[in-house]
Amino acid sequence: MILPDYYEFCCRVQIVAGHDALEKIPALLAEMGAKKPLIVTDKGVAAAGLVDIVVNALKEGVTIGGIADNVPPDSDLKVVNQLAGLYRDNACDAIIAVGGGSVMDTAKGVNIVVSENATDLMAFSGAGALNRRLKPLVAIPTTAGTGSEVTLVAVIKDHEKHQKMLFTSYFLLPNVSILDSRMTMTMPPFITAMTGMDALSHAVEGYYCLQKNPLSDAHSLAAVNMIHQYLSMVTKNPADKEGRLAMAVGACLAGISFSNSMVGIVHNLGHATGAVCGVPHGICMAVLLPYGLEYNMHKRRDIIAELLLPMAGEDVYLKTPRAERADKVVSLIRQMNQDLNVITGGRHARYFSEVKDRDGKQMVPRDVLPEIAKAALFDGATIYNPEDSDYEDNLLVLEAAWEGKPLDRSKIKKG
Amino acid sequence: MQEIHAGGKPLKKAYVAIFLWFTGRAIQAAAKVDKEVKKEFDTLPDEFTFALGSLPNGPWMVVGKEKGKVKYFGGNLKCRPIHLRLVIKNIEAAFLILSFQESTALATTRNRLMTDGEVPYALSVIRILDIVEVYLLPKLIASLAVKRYPSWWPFGHKLAGRIGVYTRTLLGI
Ligand SMILES: [Fe+2]
Repeated sequence: MILPDYYEFCCRVQIVAGHDALEKIPALLAEMGAKKPLIVTDKGVAAAGLVDIVVNALKEGVTIGGIADNVPPDSDLKVVNQLAGLYRDNACDAIIAVGGGSVMDTAKGVNIVVSENATDLMAFSGAGALNRRLKPLVAIPTTAGTGSEVTLVAVIKDHEKHQKMLFTSYFLLPNVSILDSRMTMTMPPFITAMTGMDALSHAVEGYYCLQKNPLSDAHSLAAVNMIHQYLSMVTKNPADKEGRLAMAVGACLAGISFSNSMVGIVHNLGHATGAVCGVPHGICMAVLLPYGLEYNMHKRRDIIAELLLPMAGEDVYLKTPRAERADKVVSLIRQMNQDLNVITGGRHARYFSEVKDRDGKQMVPRDVLPEIAKAALFDGATIYNPEDSDYEDNLLVLEAAWEGKPLDRSKIKKG
Repeated sequence: MQEIHAGGKPLKKAYVAIFLWFTGRAIQAAAKVDKEVKKEFDTLPDEFTFALGSLPNGPWMVVGKEKGKVKYFGGNLKCRPIHLRLVIKNIEAAFLILSFQESTALATTRNRLMTDGEVPYALSVIRILDIVEVYLLPKLIASLAVKRYPSWWPFGHKLAGRIGVYTRTLLGI
Protein backbone atom coordinates (compact mmCIF):
# COMPACT_ATOMS: atom_id res chain seq x y z
CA MET A 1 0.00 0.00 0.00
CA ILE A 2 1.20 3.50 -0.84
CA LEU A 3 0.73 6.29 1.69
CA PRO A 4 0.88 9.59 -0.22
CA ASP A 5 1.88 12.56 1.91
CA TYR A 6 -1.14 14.46 0.64
CA TYR A 7 -4.39 13.40 -0.98
CA GLU A 8 -8.07 14.23 -1.16
CA PHE A 9 -10.97 11.82 -1.11
CA CYS A 10 -14.64 12.64 -1.32
CA CYS A 11 -17.79 10.63 -1.78
CA ARG A 12 -20.78 12.22 -0.18
CA VAL A 13 -23.45 10.34 -2.09
CA GLN A 14 -26.07 8.49 -0.09
CA ILE A 15 -26.32 5.00 -1.55
CA VAL A 16 -29.41 2.84 -1.22
CA ALA A 17 -29.00 -0.69 -2.57
CA GLY A 18 -31.40 -3.60 -2.70
CA HIS A 19 -33.96 -5.54 -4.68
CA ASP A 20 -36.62 -2.99 -3.71
CA ALA A 21 -34.49 0.10 -3.18
CA LEU A 22 -36.63 2.22 -5.52
CA GLU A 23 -39.51 2.15 -3.06
CA LYS A 24 -37.40 4.25 -0.70
CA ILE A 25 -37.33 7.24 -3.09
CA PRO A 26 -40.48 9.03 -1.81
CA ALA A 27 -39.07 9.09 1.73
CA LEU A 28 -35.69 10.24 0.43
CA LEU A 29 -37.27 13.05 -1.59
CA ALA A 30 -39.30 14.12 1.44
CA GLU A 31 -36.09 14.30 3.51
CA MET A 32 -34.70 16.70 0.93
CA GLY A 33 -37.90 18.74 0.94
CA ALA A 34 -38.86 17.77 -2.61
CA LYS A 35 -42.13 16.33 -3.89
CA LYS A 36 -42.28 17.04 -7.60
CA PRO A 37 -39.38 15.44 -9.47
CA LEU A 38 -38.64 15.60 -13.19
CA ILE A 39 -37.68 12.16 -14.53
CA VAL A 40 -34.86 12.27 -17.07
CA THR A 41 -34.23 9.16 -19.16
CA ASP A 42 -33.80 7.87 -22.70
CA LYS A 43 -35.99 5.98 -25.17
CA GLY A 44 -34.21 2.66 -24.69
CA VAL A 45 -34.63 2.72 -20.93
CA ALA A 46 -38.29 3.69 -21.26
CA ALA A 47 -38.94 0.98 -23.85
CA ALA A 48 -37.42 -1.64 -21.55
CA GLY A 49 -40.16 -0.76 -19.05
CA LEU A 50 -37.72 0.55 -16.45
CA VAL A 51 -39.35 3.97 -16.14
CA ASP A 52 -42.67 2.26 -15.38
CA ILE A 53 -41.03 0.41 -12.50
CA VAL A 54 -39.66 3.69 -11.16
CA VAL A 55 -43.01 5.48 -11.56
CA ASN A 56 -44.75 2.64 -9.74
CA ALA A 57 -42.34 2.94 -6.86
CA LEU A 58 -43.06 6.67 -6.57
CA LYS A 59 -46.80 6.39 -5.95
CA GLU A 60 -46.78 7.44 -2.31
CA GLY A 61 -46.70 11.20 -1.76
CA VAL A 62 -44.89 12.16 -4.95
CA THR A 63 -46.25 14.06 -7.94
CA ILE A 64 -44.27 13.40 -11.06
CA GLY A 65 -43.47 16.75 -12.64
CA GLY A 66 -42.74 15.25 -16.03
CA ILE A 67 -41.02 12.40 -17.81
CA ALA A 68 -38.47 13.35 -20.46
CA ASP A 69 -37.24 10.36 -22.43
CA ASN A 70 -35.48 12.20 -25.24
CA VAL A 71 -31.89 12.11 -23.99
CA PRO A 72 -29.68 11.15 -26.97
CA PRO A 73 -26.85 8.58 -26.64
CA ASP A 74 -24.45 11.53 -26.64
CA SER A 75 -25.39 14.29 -24.18
CA ASP A 76 -26.50 17.42 -26.04
CA LEU A 77 -26.70 21.06 -24.99
CA LYS A 78 -29.99 21.69 -26.80
CA VAL A 79 -31.66 18.82 -24.95
CA VAL A 80 -30.27 20.12 -21.65
CA ASN A 81 -31.82 23.53 -22.25
CA GLN A 82 -35.10 22.04 -23.40
CA LEU A 83 -35.36 19.84 -20.27
CA ALA A 84 -34.50 22.79 -18.06
CA GLY A 85 -37.47 24.60 -19.63
CA LEU A 86 -39.68 21.62 -18.88
CA TYR A 87 -38.46 21.61 -15.27
CA ARG A 88 -39.36 25.28 -14.84
CA ASP A 89 -42.70 25.14 -16.69
CA ASN A 90 -43.88 22.28 -14.49
CA ALA A 91 -42.48 23.81 -11.28
CA CYS A 92 -40.41 20.74 -10.46
CA ASP A 93 -38.22 20.67 -7.37
CA ALA A 94 -35.90 17.68 -7.94
CA ILE A 95 -34.44 15.52 -10.74
CA ILE A 96 -34.49 11.75 -11.01
CA ALA A 97 -32.08 10.41 -13.63
CA VAL A 98 -32.77 6.90 -14.89
CA GLY A 99 -30.17 5.58 -17.32
CA GLY A 100 -26.51 5.31 -18.25
CA GLY A 101 -23.71 7.85 -18.62
CA SER A 102 -25.41 10.22 -21.07
CA VAL A 103 -28.59 10.45 -19.00
CA MET A 104 -26.56 11.18 -15.85
CA ASP A 105 -24.54 13.86 -17.66
CA THR A 106 -27.70 15.44 -19.06
CA ALA A 107 -29.41 15.44 -15.66
CA LYS A 108 -26.36 17.11 -14.11
CA GLY A 109 -26.39 19.71 -16.89
CA VAL A 110 -30.10 20.40 -16.38
CA ASN A 111 -29.44 20.74 -12.67
CA ILE A 112 -26.81 23.44 -13.26
CA VAL A 113 -29.16 25.39 -15.52
CA VAL A 114 -32.17 25.26 -13.19
CA SER A 115 -30.23 25.78 -9.96
CA GLU A 116 -28.04 28.63 -11.17
CA ASN A 117 -30.73 30.13 -13.41
CA ALA A 118 -28.15 29.97 -16.14
CA THR A 119 -28.80 30.97 -19.71
CA ASP A 120 -25.31 29.99 -20.81
CA LEU A 121 -24.12 26.66 -19.48
CA MET A 122 -20.61 27.39 -20.77
CA ALA A 123 -20.14 29.95 -17.99
CA PHE A 124 -20.11 27.10 -15.48
CA SER A 125 -17.70 24.77 -17.29
CA GLY A 126 -14.30 23.76 -15.97
CA ALA A 127 -13.40 23.09 -12.37
CA GLY A 128 -14.57 25.19 -9.46
CA ALA A 129 -17.15 27.30 -11.31
CA LEU A 130 -19.98 25.98 -9.14
CA ASN A 131 -19.95 27.06 -5.54
CA ARG A 132 -23.25 26.18 -3.99
CA ARG A 133 -25.70 23.35 -3.62
CA LEU A 134 -27.84 22.44 -6.61
CA LYS A 135 -31.38 20.97 -6.65
CA PRO A 136 -31.79 17.44 -5.26
CA LEU A 137 -30.61 14.83 -7.78
CA VAL A 138 -31.44 11.15 -7.50
CA ALA A 139 -29.40 8.86 -9.77
CA ILE A 140 -30.69 5.46 -10.82
CA PRO A 141 -28.12 3.70 -13.02
CA THR A 142 -29.45 1.16 -15.52
CA THR A 143 -26.05 -0.27 -16.41
CA ALA A 144 -23.44 -1.60 -14.02
CA GLY A 145 -20.39 0.14 -15.42
CA THR A 146 -19.82 3.87 -15.75
CA GLY A 147 -20.03 4.68 -12.04
CA SER A 148 -21.40 8.10 -12.98
CA GLU A 149 -23.94 7.79 -10.17
CA VAL A 150 -21.06 8.63 -7.82
CA THR A 151 -18.82 10.87 -9.95
CA LEU A 152 -18.46 14.62 -9.86
CA VAL A 153 -18.05 15.05 -13.60
CA ALA A 154 -20.46 15.89 -16.39
CA VAL A 155 -19.70 16.13 -20.10
CA ILE A 156 -22.15 18.06 -22.27
CA LYS A 157 -21.65 18.37 -25.99
CA ASP A 158 -22.58 21.40 -27.99
CA HIS A 159 -23.16 19.73 -31.35
CA GLU A 160 -23.75 23.06 -33.11
CA LYS A 161 -20.44 24.57 -32.08
CA HIS A 162 -18.64 21.19 -32.07
CA GLN A 163 -17.59 21.79 -28.50
CA LYS A 164 -17.34 19.50 -25.53
CA MET A 165 -17.93 21.10 -22.16
CA LEU A 166 -16.50 19.46 -19.09
CA PHE A 167 -17.86 20.25 -15.64
CA THR A 168 -16.23 19.08 -12.43
CA SER A 169 -17.53 19.98 -9.00
CA TYR A 170 -18.47 18.21 -5.80
CA PHE A 171 -21.85 19.91 -6.21
CA LEU A 172 -22.47 17.68 -9.24
CA LEU A 173 -22.43 14.55 -7.10
CA PRO A 174 -25.96 13.15 -6.92
CA ASN A 175 -27.54 13.43 -3.47
CA VAL A 176 -28.75 9.86 -3.63
CA SER A 177 -27.93 6.87 -5.84
CA ILE A 178 -30.34 3.97 -6.00
CA LEU A 179 -28.88 0.58 -6.89
CA ASP A 180 -31.84 -1.68 -7.57
CA SER A 181 -31.41 -5.10 -9.17
CA ARG A 182 -34.54 -4.59 -11.31
CA MET A 183 -32.87 -1.75 -13.19
CA THR A 184 -30.15 -3.90 -14.79
CA MET A 185 -32.09 -7.15 -15.11
CA THR A 186 -33.09 -6.60 -18.75
CA MET A 187 -29.64 -5.58 -19.95
CA PRO A 188 -28.62 -7.92 -22.82
CA PRO A 189 -25.57 -10.16 -22.18
CA PHE A 190 -23.36 -8.28 -24.64
CA ILE A 191 -23.99 -4.93 -22.89
CA THR A 192 -23.70 -6.53 -19.45
CA ALA A 193 -20.28 -7.88 -20.42
CA MET A 194 -18.79 -4.66 -21.78
CA THR A 195 -20.19 -2.34 -19.12
CA GLY A 196 -18.95 -4.77 -16.48
CA MET A 197 -15.46 -4.66 -17.97
CA ASP A 198 -15.64 -0.85 -17.87
CA ALA A 199 -16.34 -1.12 -14.13
CA LEU A 200 -13.42 -3.54 -13.72
CA SER A 201 -11.15 -1.12 -15.57
CA HIS A 202 -12.14 1.64 -13.10
CA ALA A 203 -11.34 -0.59 -10.14
CA VAL A 204 -8.01 -1.75 -11.57
CA GLU A 205 -6.81 1.56 -13.02
CA GLY A 206 -7.87 3.30 -9.82
CA TYR A 207 -5.63 0.85 -7.99
CA TYR A 208 -2.43 1.33 -9.98
CA CYS A 209 -2.61 4.98 -11.05
CA LEU A 210 -0.62 7.80 -9.51
CA GLN A 211 -3.38 9.37 -7.44
CA LYS A 212 -4.20 6.15 -5.58
CA ASN A 213 -4.55 6.41 -1.83
CA PRO A 214 -5.63 4.08 0.98
CA LEU A 215 -9.27 5.18 0.75
CA SER A 216 -9.59 4.66 -3.00
CA ASP A 217 -7.65 1.40 -2.61
CA ALA A 218 -10.25 -0.05 -0.26
CA HIS A 219 -12.98 0.65 -2.78
CA SER A 220 -10.95 -0.82 -5.66
CA LEU A 221 -10.20 -4.06 -3.84
CA ALA A 222 -13.84 -4.60 -2.91
CA ALA A 223 -14.93 -3.78 -6.47
CA VAL A 224 -12.43 -6.15 -8.08
CA ASN A 225 -13.64 -8.92 -5.82
CA MET A 226 -17.32 -8.49 -6.67
CA ILE A 227 -16.89 -7.91 -10.39
CA HIS A 228 -14.57 -10.86 -10.92
CA GLN A 229 -16.90 -13.10 -9.00
CA TYR A 230 -20.17 -12.05 -10.64
CA LEU A 231 -19.63 -10.65 -14.13
CA SER A 232 -19.48 -13.90 -16.08
CA MET A 233 -22.27 -15.31 -13.94
CA VAL A 234 -24.80 -12.56 -14.71
CA THR A 235 -23.78 -12.41 -18.34
CA LYS A 236 -24.64 -16.09 -18.58
CA ASN A 237 -27.75 -15.82 -16.44
CA PRO A 238 -29.32 -12.35 -16.86
CA ALA A 239 -32.15 -13.03 -14.38
CA ASP A 240 -29.74 -13.67 -11.50
CA LYS A 241 -31.02 -11.10 -8.99
CA GLU A 242 -28.16 -11.50 -6.53
CA GLY A 243 -25.60 -11.23 -9.28
CA ARG A 244 -27.25 -8.12 -10.76
CA LEU A 245 -27.21 -6.36 -7.40
CA ALA A 246 -23.63 -7.43 -6.78
CA MET A 247 -22.56 -6.00 -10.15
CA ALA A 248 -24.40 -2.73 -9.46
CA VAL A 249 -22.59 -2.44 -6.14
CA GLY A 250 -19.26 -3.46 -7.70
CA ALA A 251 -19.56 -0.79 -10.40
CA CYS A 252 -20.50 1.79 -7.77
CA LEU A 253 -17.47 0.88 -5.63
CA ALA A 254 -15.24 1.11 -8.70
CA GLY A 255 -16.77 4.51 -9.53
CA ILE A 256 -15.98 5.82 -6.05
CA SER A 257 -12.40 4.61 -6.40
CA PHE A 258 -11.57 6.05 -9.80
CA SER A 259 -13.31 9.36 -9.33
CA ASN A 260 -10.83 9.95 -6.51
CA SER A 261 -7.73 8.23 -7.86
CA MET A 262 -8.28 8.82 -11.59
CA VAL A 263 -7.51 6.48 -14.49
CA GLY A 264 -4.53 5.92 -16.81
CA ILE A 265 -3.44 4.49 -20.14
CA VAL A 266 -6.41 2.12 -20.56
CA HIS A 267 -8.82 5.05 -20.50
CA ASN A 268 -6.32 7.26 -22.30
CA LEU A 269 -6.16 4.95 -25.33
CA GLY A 270 -9.81 3.99 -24.91
CA HIS A 271 -11.04 7.58 -25.12
CA ALA A 272 -8.94 8.07 -28.26
CA THR A 273 -10.24 4.86 -29.87
CA GLY A 274 -13.79 5.91 -29.06
CA ALA A 275 -13.24 9.35 -30.57
CA VAL A 276 -11.55 8.12 -33.76
CA CYS A 277 -13.57 4.95 -34.49
CA GLY A 278 -16.77 5.27 -32.45
CA VAL A 279 -16.16 2.03 -30.57
CA PRO A 280 -18.32 1.85 -27.39
CA HIS A 281 -16.34 2.72 -24.26
CA GLY A 282 -16.88 -0.63 -22.55
CA ILE A 283 -15.45 -2.58 -25.48
CA CYS A 284 -12.34 -0.41 -25.52
CA MET A 285 -11.91 -1.04 -21.80
CA ALA A 286 -12.31 -4.81 -22.14
CA VAL A 287 -9.74 -4.97 -24.93
CA LEU A 288 -7.19 -2.59 -23.41
CA LEU A 289 -7.26 -3.53 -19.71
CA PRO A 290 -4.75 -6.43 -19.87
CA TYR A 291 -2.41 -4.24 -21.94
CA GLY A 292 -2.57 -1.34 -19.48
CA LEU A 293 -1.42 -3.71 -16.75
CA GLU A 294 1.38 -5.08 -18.91
CA TYR A 295 2.52 -1.61 -19.90
CA ASN A 296 2.84 -0.47 -16.30
CA MET A 297 4.14 -3.77 -14.95
CA HIS A 298 7.76 -2.68 -14.43
CA LYS A 299 6.61 0.21 -12.27
CA ARG A 300 3.67 -1.39 -10.50
CA ARG A 301 4.36 -5.14 -10.21
CA ASP A 302 3.85 -5.38 -6.44
CA ILE A 303 0.73 -3.24 -6.52
CA ILE A 304 -0.84 -5.23 -9.36
CA ALA A 305 0.02 -8.45 -7.50
CA GLU A 306 -2.13 -7.28 -4.58
CA LEU A 307 -5.19 -7.58 -6.82
CA LEU A 308 -4.82 -11.35 -7.02
CA LEU A 309 -6.19 -12.03 -3.54
CA PRO A 310 -9.55 -10.26 -4.03
CA MET A 311 -9.83 -11.67 -7.54
CA ALA A 312 -8.93 -15.29 -7.13
CA GLY A 313 -9.21 -15.96 -3.42
CA GLU A 314 -6.83 -17.30 -0.81
CA ASP A 315 -6.08 -20.68 -2.37
CA VAL A 316 -4.92 -19.38 -5.72
CA TYR A 317 -3.12 -16.46 -4.10
CA LEU A 318 -1.08 -18.67 -1.80
CA LYS A 319 -0.35 -21.24 -4.47
CA THR A 320 0.96 -18.62 -6.90
CA PRO A 321 4.63 -17.78 -6.30
CA ARG A 322 5.06 -14.16 -5.24
CA ALA A 323 6.92 -13.20 -8.43
CA GLU A 324 4.11 -14.52 -10.64
CA ARG A 325 1.11 -12.97 -8.90
CA ALA A 326 0.95 -9.83 -11.03
CA ASP A 327 1.14 -11.86 -14.26
CA LYS A 328 -1.59 -14.10 -12.92
CA VAL A 329 -3.85 -11.04 -12.51
CA VAL A 330 -3.31 -10.20 -16.18
CA SER A 331 -4.06 -13.74 -17.29
CA LEU A 332 -7.23 -13.87 -15.17
CA ILE A 333 -8.50 -10.69 -16.84
CA ARG A 334 -7.70 -12.16 -20.27
CA GLN A 335 -9.61 -15.26 -19.20
CA MET A 336 -12.62 -13.10 -18.27
CA ASN A 337 -12.66 -11.62 -21.78
CA GLN A 338 -12.36 -15.12 -23.21
CA ASP A 339 -15.28 -16.41 -21.10
CA LEU A 340 -17.44 -13.40 -21.96
CA ASN A 341 -16.64 -13.91 -25.63
CA VAL A 342 -17.91 -17.49 -25.44
CA ILE A 343 -20.99 -16.63 -23.36
CA THR A 344 -22.06 -13.86 -25.75
CA GLY A 345 -21.58 -16.06 -28.80
CA GLY A 346 -18.58 -14.05 -29.97
CA ARG A 347 -20.09 -10.59 -29.60
CA HIS A 348 -17.82 -9.57 -26.72
CA ALA A 349 -14.60 -8.53 -28.43
CA ARG A 350 -11.23 -9.64 -27.06
CA TYR A 351 -9.09 -7.55 -29.40
CA PHE A 352 -9.59 -4.56 -31.65
CA SER A 353 -9.45 -6.54 -34.89
CA GLU A 354 -12.56 -8.39 -33.66
CA VAL A 355 -14.71 -5.32 -33.05
CA LYS A 356 -17.51 -5.16 -35.61
CA ASP A 357 -20.41 -2.78 -36.07
CA ARG A 358 -24.02 -3.81 -36.70
CA ASP A 359 -23.38 -4.56 -40.34
CA GLY A 360 -20.41 -6.74 -39.50
CA LYS A 361 -17.91 -4.15 -40.69
CA GLN A 362 -14.60 -3.90 -38.86
CA MET A 363 -14.71 -0.80 -36.64
CA VAL A 364 -10.98 -0.41 -36.01
CA PRO A 365 -9.11 -0.92 -39.30
CA ARG A 366 -5.42 -1.47 -38.64
CA ASP A 367 -4.38 1.62 -40.58
CA VAL A 368 -6.14 4.00 -38.15
CA LEU A 369 -3.98 2.91 -35.20
CA PRO A 370 -1.44 5.74 -35.81
CA GLU A 371 -4.27 8.26 -35.71
CA ILE A 372 -5.50 6.83 -32.40
CA ALA A 373 -1.96 6.84 -30.98
CA LYS A 374 -1.67 10.52 -31.84
CA ALA A 375 -5.08 11.51 -30.47
CA ALA A 376 -4.23 9.83 -27.16
CA LEU A 377 -1.40 12.30 -26.59
CA PHE A 378 -4.00 14.96 -25.92
CA ASP A 379 -6.17 13.09 -23.42
CA GLY A 380 -5.84 14.03 -19.78
CA ALA A 381 -5.79 10.46 -18.42
CA THR A 382 -2.15 10.20 -19.49
CA ILE A 383 -1.15 12.40 -16.54
CA TYR A 384 -2.17 9.82 -13.96
CA ASN A 385 -0.60 6.78 -15.60
CA PRO A 386 2.45 5.50 -13.70
CA GLU A 387 4.66 5.22 -16.81
CA ASP A 388 5.00 7.96 -19.40
CA SER A 389 3.64 7.20 -22.86
CA ASP A 390 4.59 8.87 -26.13
CA TYR A 391 3.34 8.26 -29.65
CA GLU A 392 5.51 5.16 -30.18
CA ASP A 393 4.44 3.64 -26.86
CA ASN A 394 0.78 4.21 -27.68
CA LEU A 395 1.22 2.56 -31.06
CA LEU A 396 3.05 -0.41 -29.52
CA VAL A 397 0.15 -1.04 -27.13
CA LEU A 398 -2.52 -0.47 -29.78
CA GLU A 399 -0.91 -2.87 -32.24
CA ALA A 400 -0.69 -5.62 -29.65
CA ALA A 401 -4.29 -4.97 -28.61
CA TRP A 402 -5.36 -5.09 -32.24
CA GLU A 403 -3.70 -8.44 -32.88
CA GLY A 404 -4.59 -9.90 -29.49
CA LYS A 405 -1.00 -10.80 -28.66
CA PRO A 406 0.43 -10.16 -25.19
CA LEU A 407 2.48 -6.98 -25.05
CA ASP A 408 6.17 -7.52 -25.81
CA ARG A 409 7.40 -5.87 -22.65
CA SER A 410 11.02 -5.85 -23.78
CA LYS A 411 10.01 -3.15 -26.29
CA ILE A 412 8.73 -0.72 -23.65
CA LYS A 413 11.05 2.24 -23.15
CA LYS A 414 11.79 2.10 -19.46
CA GLY A 415 13.98 5.15 -18.95
CA MET B 1 2.13 24.91 5.36
CA GLN B 2 3.79 26.12 8.55
CA GLU B 3 6.95 28.13 7.99
CA ILE B 4 9.99 26.19 9.11
CA HIS B 5 12.21 29.17 9.88
CA ALA B 6 12.15 32.90 9.33
CA GLY B 7 13.68 34.01 6.08
CA GLY B 8 12.85 30.74 4.33
CA LYS B 9 10.14 32.22 2.20
CA PRO B 10 12.02 35.10 0.52
CA LEU B 11 14.85 32.72 -0.30
CA LYS B 12 12.48 30.20 -1.82
CA LYS B 13 10.75 32.94 -3.76
CA ALA B 14 14.08 34.14 -5.10
CA TYR B 15 15.01 30.61 -6.14
CA VAL B 16 11.68 30.15 -7.91
CA ALA B 17 12.04 33.51 -9.67
CA ILE B 18 15.54 32.72 -10.94
CA PHE B 19 14.49 29.23 -11.97
CA LEU B 20 11.52 30.54 -13.95
CA TRP B 21 13.64 33.23 -15.63
CA PHE B 22 16.21 30.63 -16.65
CA THR B 23 13.65 28.05 -17.79
CA GLY B 24 11.74 30.64 -19.79
CA ARG B 25 14.86 31.49 -21.76
CA ALA B 26 15.71 27.80 -22.07
CA ILE B 27 12.32 27.01 -23.62
CA GLN B 28 12.88 29.74 -26.18
CA ALA B 29 16.29 28.21 -26.90
CA ALA B 30 15.05 24.62 -27.02
CA ALA B 31 12.38 25.55 -29.57
CA LYS B 32 15.25 26.37 -31.94
CA VAL B 33 17.55 23.50 -31.02
CA ASP B 34 15.31 20.49 -30.43
CA LYS B 35 13.06 18.98 -33.10
CA GLU B 36 10.55 17.52 -30.63
CA VAL B 37 10.06 20.82 -28.83
CA LYS B 38 9.63 22.56 -32.15
CA LYS B 39 7.11 19.95 -33.28
CA GLU B 40 5.16 20.31 -30.05
CA PHE B 41 4.97 24.10 -30.44
CA ASP B 42 3.84 23.61 -34.03
CA THR B 43 0.73 21.76 -32.80
CA LEU B 44 -0.22 24.79 -30.70
CA PRO B 45 -2.17 27.70 -32.22
CA ASP B 46 -0.46 30.92 -33.42
CA GLU B 47 0.05 33.41 -30.62
CA PHE B 48 -0.50 30.62 -28.06
CA THR B 49 0.83 31.80 -24.71
CA PHE B 50 1.19 30.00 -21.41
CA ALA B 51 2.30 30.94 -17.93
CA LEU B 52 3.85 28.90 -15.15
CA GLY B 53 4.04 30.28 -11.66
CA SER B 54 2.98 30.31 -8.08
CA LEU B 55 -0.01 31.57 -6.12
CA PRO B 56 -0.81 33.94 -4.50
CA ASN B 57 1.36 36.57 -6.23
CA GLY B 58 4.02 34.97 -8.39
CA PRO B 59 6.66 34.82 -9.56
CA TRP B 60 5.51 33.88 -13.07
CA MET B 61 7.06 32.91 -16.35
CA VAL B 62 5.26 33.76 -19.59
CA VAL B 63 6.20 31.94 -22.79
CA GLY B 64 4.39 32.03 -26.10
CA LYS B 65 4.44 32.11 -29.86
CA GLU B 66 4.79 35.38 -31.71
CA LYS B 67 4.75 35.39 -35.50
CA GLY B 68 5.72 31.72 -35.52
CA LYS B 69 8.64 32.20 -33.13
CA VAL B 70 8.74 30.95 -29.54
CA LYS B 71 9.60 33.70 -27.08
CA TYR B 72 10.07 34.20 -23.37
CA PHE B 73 8.03 37.27 -22.38
CA GLY B 74 9.26 37.76 -18.84
CA GLY B 75 7.24 37.52 -15.65
CA ASN B 76 4.32 39.87 -16.21
CA LEU B 77 0.97 38.06 -16.56
CA LYS B 78 -0.59 41.13 -18.16
CA CYS B 79 1.93 41.42 -21.01
CA ARG B 80 -0.35 39.54 -23.42
CA PRO B 81 -3.44 37.28 -23.49
CA ILE B 82 -2.68 33.96 -21.76
CA HIS B 83 -4.37 30.75 -22.96
CA LEU B 84 -3.11 28.37 -20.34
CA ARG B 85 -1.86 28.77 -16.81
CA LEU B 86 0.01 26.10 -14.87
CA VAL B 87 -0.60 27.20 -11.33
CA ILE B 88 1.32 26.01 -8.29
CA LYS B 89 -0.63 26.22 -5.04
CA ASN B 90 1.90 28.26 -3.06
CA ILE B 91 5.55 29.20 -2.97
CA GLU B 92 6.44 26.22 -0.76
CA ALA B 93 5.01 23.81 -3.33
CA ALA B 94 6.66 25.77 -6.14
CA PHE B 95 10.01 25.37 -4.43
CA LEU B 96 9.40 21.64 -3.99
CA ILE B 97 8.50 21.12 -7.65
CA LEU B 98 11.06 23.47 -9.17
CA SER B 99 13.90 22.12 -7.07
CA PHE B 100 12.93 18.65 -8.39
CA GLN B 101 11.96 17.15 -5.07
CA GLU B 102 8.61 16.30 -6.63
CA SER B 103 7.80 15.43 -10.25
CA THR B 104 5.15 17.41 -12.14
CA ALA B 105 3.01 14.25 -12.32
CA LEU B 106 3.10 13.69 -8.57
CA ALA B 107 2.51 17.36 -7.89
CA THR B 108 -0.65 17.11 -10.01
CA THR B 109 -1.92 14.08 -8.11
CA ARG B 110 -1.30 15.90 -4.84
CA ASN B 111 -3.29 18.94 -6.01
CA ARG B 112 -0.22 21.19 -5.81
CA LEU B 113 -0.06 21.86 -9.52
CA MET B 114 -3.28 22.82 -11.27
CA THR B 115 -4.04 23.68 -14.84
CA ASP B 116 -6.26 26.54 -15.81
CA GLY B 117 -7.08 26.11 -19.48
CA GLU B 118 -7.62 23.30 -21.94
CA VAL B 119 -6.16 19.91 -21.06
CA PRO B 120 -4.64 19.14 -24.50
CA TYR B 121 -2.64 22.38 -24.32
CA ALA B 122 -1.48 21.54 -20.81
CA LEU B 123 -0.25 18.14 -21.97
CA SER B 124 1.78 19.74 -24.77
CA VAL B 125 3.34 22.23 -22.38
CA ILE B 126 4.23 19.49 -19.87
CA ARG B 127 5.97 17.52 -22.65
CA ILE B 128 7.94 20.65 -23.59
CA LEU B 129 8.94 21.31 -19.99
CA ASP B 130 10.06 17.70 -19.59
CA ILE B 131 12.39 17.86 -22.60
CA VAL B 132 13.83 21.20 -21.51
CA GLU B 133 14.54 19.81 -18.04
CA VAL B 134 16.36 16.85 -19.55
CA TYR B 135 18.66 19.30 -21.37
CA LEU B 136 19.20 21.59 -18.41
CA LEU B 137 19.74 19.06 -15.64
CA PRO B 138 22.14 16.22 -14.99
CA LYS B 139 20.53 12.79 -15.38
CA LEU B 140 20.35 12.11 -11.65
CA ILE B 141 18.26 15.21 -11.01
CA ALA B 142 16.24 15.15 -14.23
CA SER B 143 15.14 11.60 -13.45
CA LEU B 144 13.38 12.98 -10.39
CA ALA B 145 11.71 15.75 -12.32
CA VAL B 146 10.24 13.77 -15.21
CA LYS B 147 8.18 10.59 -15.20
CA ARG B 148 10.61 8.74 -17.45
CA TYR B 149 14.15 9.82 -18.26
CA PRO B 150 14.83 9.35 -22.00
CA SER B 151 17.90 7.16 -21.54
CA TRP B 152 17.35 5.84 -25.09
CA TRP B 153 18.32 9.19 -26.63
CA PRO B 154 21.70 8.85 -28.39
CA PHE B 155 24.52 10.44 -26.39
CA GLY B 156 25.47 12.80 -29.21
CA HIS B 157 21.91 14.09 -29.53
CA LYS B 158 21.70 14.85 -25.83
CA LEU B 159 25.10 16.54 -25.76
CA ALA B 160 24.49 18.68 -28.84
CA GLY B 161 21.08 19.67 -27.51
CA ARG B 162 22.47 20.52 -24.12
CA ILE B 163 25.24 22.71 -25.53
CA GLY B 164 22.78 24.42 -27.87
CA VAL B 165 20.19 25.09 -25.18
CA TYR B 166 22.72 26.31 -22.62
CA THR B 167 24.54 28.63 -25.02
CA ARG B 168 21.34 30.17 -26.30
CA THR B 169 19.85 30.45 -22.81
CA LEU B 170 22.88 32.23 -21.42
CA LEU B 171 23.10 34.53 -24.41
CA GLY B 172 19.36 34.98 -24.51
CA ILE B 173 19.00 34.13 -28.19
FE1 LIG C 1 -14.56 3.97 -18.00
